[in-house]
Amino acid sequence: MKKIEILFTLMIAPLSVWASGGEVPLMQVDLAHDAGTRKQGAEVVLTVCTGCHNLKYIKYRDLQAVGFSQQEIDDLRGAAEMTAPIMSLSPPDMLKDTYGVVPPDLSLIAKARAGKGRYVYTLFNNFYMRADGNVDNHLFPGIRMPDVLGVAAMGEGPDKKAFQESMKKVASFLEWASDPNAEERESLGFYVLIYLIIFTLMLGVMKRRIWADVH
Amino acid sequence: MSKHPVIEWIDRRFPFTAFVKHELTEYKVPRNLSYWWNFGFLAGFVLLLQIVSGVFLAMHYKPDAKLAFDSIEHIMREVNYGWLLRYLHSTGASAFFAVIYIHMARTLYYGSFRAPREIMWWTGQVLLLSLMATAFMGYLLPWGQMSYWGAQVITNLFGATPIIGGDVVVWLRGDFVVGDATINRFFVLHFFFPFLICGIVLVHLVALHFVRSSNPSGINLRAEENISLHPYFTFKDLFGLGVFLIIFCAFVFFSPDFFIEPDNNIPANPLQTPPHIVPEWYFLPFYAILRAIPDMLGGVVAMTLSVMVFAAMPYLDRSKIPGGSRYRPLYRAMFGVFVLDIALLTYVGAQPATDEMTIIGRIATTIYFSMFMLLPIMSKKEEAWLFVRGLPQEVMAMIAEEKDDDRRRREKDRRKNERRREQE
Repeated sequence: MKKIEILFTLMIAPLSVWASGGEVPLMQVDLAHDAGTRKQGAEVVLTVCTGCHNLKYIKYRDLQAVGFSQQEIDDLRGAAEMTAPIMSLSPPDMLKDTYGVVPPDLSLIAKARAGKGRYVYTLFNNFYMRADGNVDNHLFPGIRMPDVLGVAAMGEGPDKKAFQESMKKVASFLEWASDPNAEERESLGFYVLIYLIIFTLMLGVMKRRIWADVH
Repeated sequence: MSKHPVIEWIDRRFPFTAFVKHELTEYKVPRNLSYWWNFGFLAGFVLLLQIVSGVFLAMHYKPDAKLAFDSIEHIMREVNYGWLLRYLHSTGASAFFAVIYIHMARTLYYGSFRAPREIMWWTGQVLLLSLMATAFMGYLLPWGQMSYWGAQVITNLFGATPIIGGDVVVWLRGDFVVGDATINRFFVLHFFFPFLICGIVLVHLVALHFVRSSNPSGINLRAEENISLHPYFTFKDLFGLGVFLIIFCAFVFFSPDFFIEPDNNIPANPLQTPPHIVPEWYFLPFYAILRAIPDMLGGVVAMTLSVMVFAAMPYLDRSKIPGGSRYRPLYRAMFGVFVLDIALLTYVGAQPATDEMTIIGRIATTIYFSMFMLLPIMSKKEEAWLFVRGLPQEVMAMIAEEKDDDRRRREKDRRKNERRREQE
């Protein structure tokens, strides 16, 4: 199945390069897509990001799919229902007063950017300290989000390495959140394609037989 | 052969067996049709696919500015196989245009629009327009940023109508801006248009079964060179369908977002214009022509013409030589230039309007229209040149036959008129 995916990606790769293109090139990064990675990414998102951002299309019960146990979900949700969407506790008005905008919902953020998880990862790596001492972002100049994790002041070193590993997991979780059915879709697609290929070959043989008396 | 009693019963009340015989088992098709003749059937299949997936999507979709975006995510995440329905439908829209454009290209290449197939060509033209309208209205329904701003830009174009422009725009939108009234009416019309399309497809098919298929040789085959639609072409078409489905499903299951702009995953925001508004790929050539003309009214007229000009093809191509590109090197070259030019326009339409892009767009637009404008002269010149150079005997025979037919028809008309005059 991996092979089909790779083949297909290669097939359409020239087109996607043509479709994207921005000021800062997106960083090349391989995102792991196993449940363990996603869960660790989710833990960062649920402890840091949801301070300000909603994740409104993800419900607490959906966390089971990334490997959270019932006990862990109960601890996270408090009094909220299992079917309740994951919402920030900060009131939007307050956030707007502080940052000038309501922070965007994160459940579709990966799909809403060309490059998906790679965009998220690149964004986090591109905070820098301006000459005037304020923090800005190369990929998103004028970004309102503060450098929550202190990347701009981090420098190179083990801290940065750990940070990057953690951001890969966040990007991986956000990709999942934007398209939670991807795995089911691809595994079903594998069987659909196998079926169609056999079906088409059989039709080809039948067509040849039927046409035998014409040629 | 004895018929099943139920069929017998039906046949006394409805021409079932006769219909199957006439349209399927004894309907004659030229045996030399290539796979390029597969795309009409594929278009019919995609139409069916869009109607079926669309009906199920409509059961969960909410045409309301406040609810539409959420209802799509509801379909994608909560409805059983909702993601499959939605991706079939969104990929299906692109597949529809791909199939229709190839179908049109085949007709142009082989000159299948020539007499007596003009009505097929014109119903096809109406189908293309209806498809474009349906796709455009459907694109608003997810209520993402591209949906919203695309609809805003395109409905705005109608403002170029002299005198009543402003009123037309309000009338189309149902409001002063694209809003709740717009999404509601676009949903209704998006649901309604496919019924119209089915009706026109029926006319298209009746015309086809009356004039019969053209064929790659361009000349009419002898009766014994024709074979029945079923089982020969039903199986050839089904095999083609299998190949189509493999490609289609590869997109649906492995790259469904390929045809969806990332920006359309952001809910519509009337206060924030996206930096770069692009239509879907199938509108890009026409969008590039729109932007190539500096004046808005001029741009709208040019864009409309660029779609409608196809209807004039039976008159623009004045050559008596049948078979389109088959025997006509000049026409074949023009076809090649035209296809390359459309590819260039597609590219330009997707780029931000920089100075260089505007210039390339203008050159490509000029080439686009000059192909049509040159055709009447070129086709006549080419015809004279080919007559001198010599054409295969069958082709000359067919030209003579068409001429004879024409003469006989004119003779008959003349005699009829004379008789009428005598009676008076």
